Amino acid sequence: MIVAKNINYGHKSHKILDQVDFAGEEGKLIAILGPNGAGKTSLLNYLANEVEMKKNFTFFKDKLYKDWKSKDLAQHKSKFSQHQQSDIPLTVKDIVLMGRYPYFNQIPEETDWDAIDFWMKKLEVNHLREREYVHLSGGEKQRVHLARVFVQLENTIDKKLVFLDEPLNNLDIAHQFKILQTVKEFTTKGNTAITILHDLNLAAQFSDEVVLMSNGKIVLHDQPTEVFKEEIIKEVYQFPCKIVDNPITKHPYIIFG
Amino acid sequence: MQKKLALYILVLLIALIIIAISALFIGVYNFNEPVIVHLKSLFSFEEIVKSSDTYVLYDLRLPRIVLAILVGSGLSVTGTCLQGIFKNPLASPDLIGITSGSILFAAITIVIGAYIRPFIPEVLHYFMLSIMAFIGAIITITFVYRISTKNGNTNISILLLSGVAITALCGAGTGLLTYLSTEEELRNLTFWTLGSLAGANWYNISILSVVIVISFIFLIPKGKTLNALMLGEKNAAHLGIDIEKSKKQIIILSALLVGTIVSFSGTIGFVGLIIPYILRLVFKSNYNFILPLSALLGAILVIVADTISRTAVAPSEIPIGILTAFMGAPVFISILLRYKKNLG
Repeated sequence: MIVAKNINYGHKSHKILDQVDFAGEEGKLIAILGPNGAGKTSLLNYLANEVEMKKNFTFFKDKLYKDWKSKDLAQHKSKFSQHQQSDIPLTVKDIVLMGRYPYFNQIPEETDWDAIDFWMKKLEVNHLREREYVHLSGGEKQRVHLARVFVQLENTIDKKLVFLDEPLNNLDIAHQFKILQTVKEFTTKGNTAITILHDLNLAAQFSDEVVLMSNGKIVLHDQPTEVFKEEIIKEVYQFPCKIVDNPITKHPYIIFG
Repeated sequence: MQKKLALYILVLLIALIIIAISALFIGVYNFNEPVIVHLKSLFSFEEIVKSSDTYVLYDLRLPRIVLAILVGSGLSVTGTCLQGIFKNPLASPDLIGITSGSILFAAITIVIGAYIRPFIPEVLHYFMLSIMAFIGAIITITFVYRISTKNGNTNISILLLSGVAITALCGAGTGLLTYLSTEEELRNLTFWTLGSLAGANWYNISILSVVIVISFIFLIPKGKTLNALMLGEKNAAHLGIDIEKSKKQIIILSALLVGTIVSFSGTIGFVGLIIPYILRLVFKSNYNFILPLSALLGAILVIVADTISRTAVAPSEIPIGILTAFMGAPVFISILLRYKKNLG
């Protein structure tokens, strides 16, 4: 579904991504993990087409980004960025409505409002609908933008792709789980999610594939059980750890320290 | 919600029509016939009115009011659009120096143009003037944008300070031209620095109408784009919006509007600051609402200001730019005070 070969990306002489190859299939929840400065966000931005079009050779659904119509593309993929503006002077509903901009010209239609209702309820922000965005808490703002990103992909198109850069920041435990369950539900319908996470145990529990990064390279891209091995995690994070089986889910469970 | 927008547009439109018609009959001139007769003739197209009445109505006041509508809506839509792309409620054509750039170029045209003026027809005078003012506007806006914006983020202090620098430079240039100019040219030049709609005629109205119609066709539907820009340029691009194209359109059309308006009416300052400010109080920054509404409210503001300017100290006139500055400066200060509050 998405393939990029030999990604090189840098700032001046400093290499941020160094000859990285990436391929993601449909129906997968792919977690990108790695220590700070490993190049996770850069990889995600590159794959999501935030790097100059002419230099981007990512194939999304067998087509280069520059060969897509921008409106079509916006109905096939969306992205949640790590840093959201905190001072947007609009009501919550107006911000979520932006997710429908690829669908209507001037006046939103019934289907647009339905999509908004559905996702605002799902992400538990419906009660904030008429509130001013600037007065929300960090976690609430986060969920508003997540709602916007999913509203954007509410359509009948098959095999959509969502990019999420640390979607769980600022969220309490319950919402962290609910968001990942929502993402999981999204991928079981044949869509793909590529998400940067920091919590290895959540990644182990929810993801189908893990991309482990370090120093601008992909160390390993495999199933969670193959990636979460003591020697690998110790080496990449430069920190001692133990890995056991989670007694309930049987997924690998990582204990640091 | 969209129905509400239609309602607001309707209300403002009716208000605009009522105010425009009232302004037509307010002034120093005493009509021979009562107002009601003129109103009837206005709607029945019968020519029953004495000639001096029709002269005042259709050759003096009507062009002036039509020009007020065009100037007001043009300036406030420009202000709204610039605030959208600079993501700041202080960006308005006068504060960031675009107006002064157009004035300088218009002044150059007047002083140098005096030598070639007798040889070209009158319509072309207006064309030349607006084209030159447009060139002045586009140069300043490009300069200010380049200097204050990096990777799509505008530094508002640099934006306003470069506006101050440009205004100083262009002011000096215009001052020099004033010094060099003849007495008749001089009167023209002061008219620009203080603003006036007294020069209204059907030539400049027709040119400005064309400019306004073309610009508004592109600018008024930009609500979605300007809203999305509040998410940051990259996030807006993920919504399928072509940011670079929209920015270019807005910058070029804003320069065109400001240039044309300034060349016909001088500096009617702060309109592009006041109107979006008032609308933001009610509609937050939802550009889907404030763009179309600013066109109507801007027209209303300028008609009212112009009517005051020509009646308050009749038979003399207070330059309209002075009136709008009296309204605009407090708005400017109150926006600054809000920044102070955010400083903590």
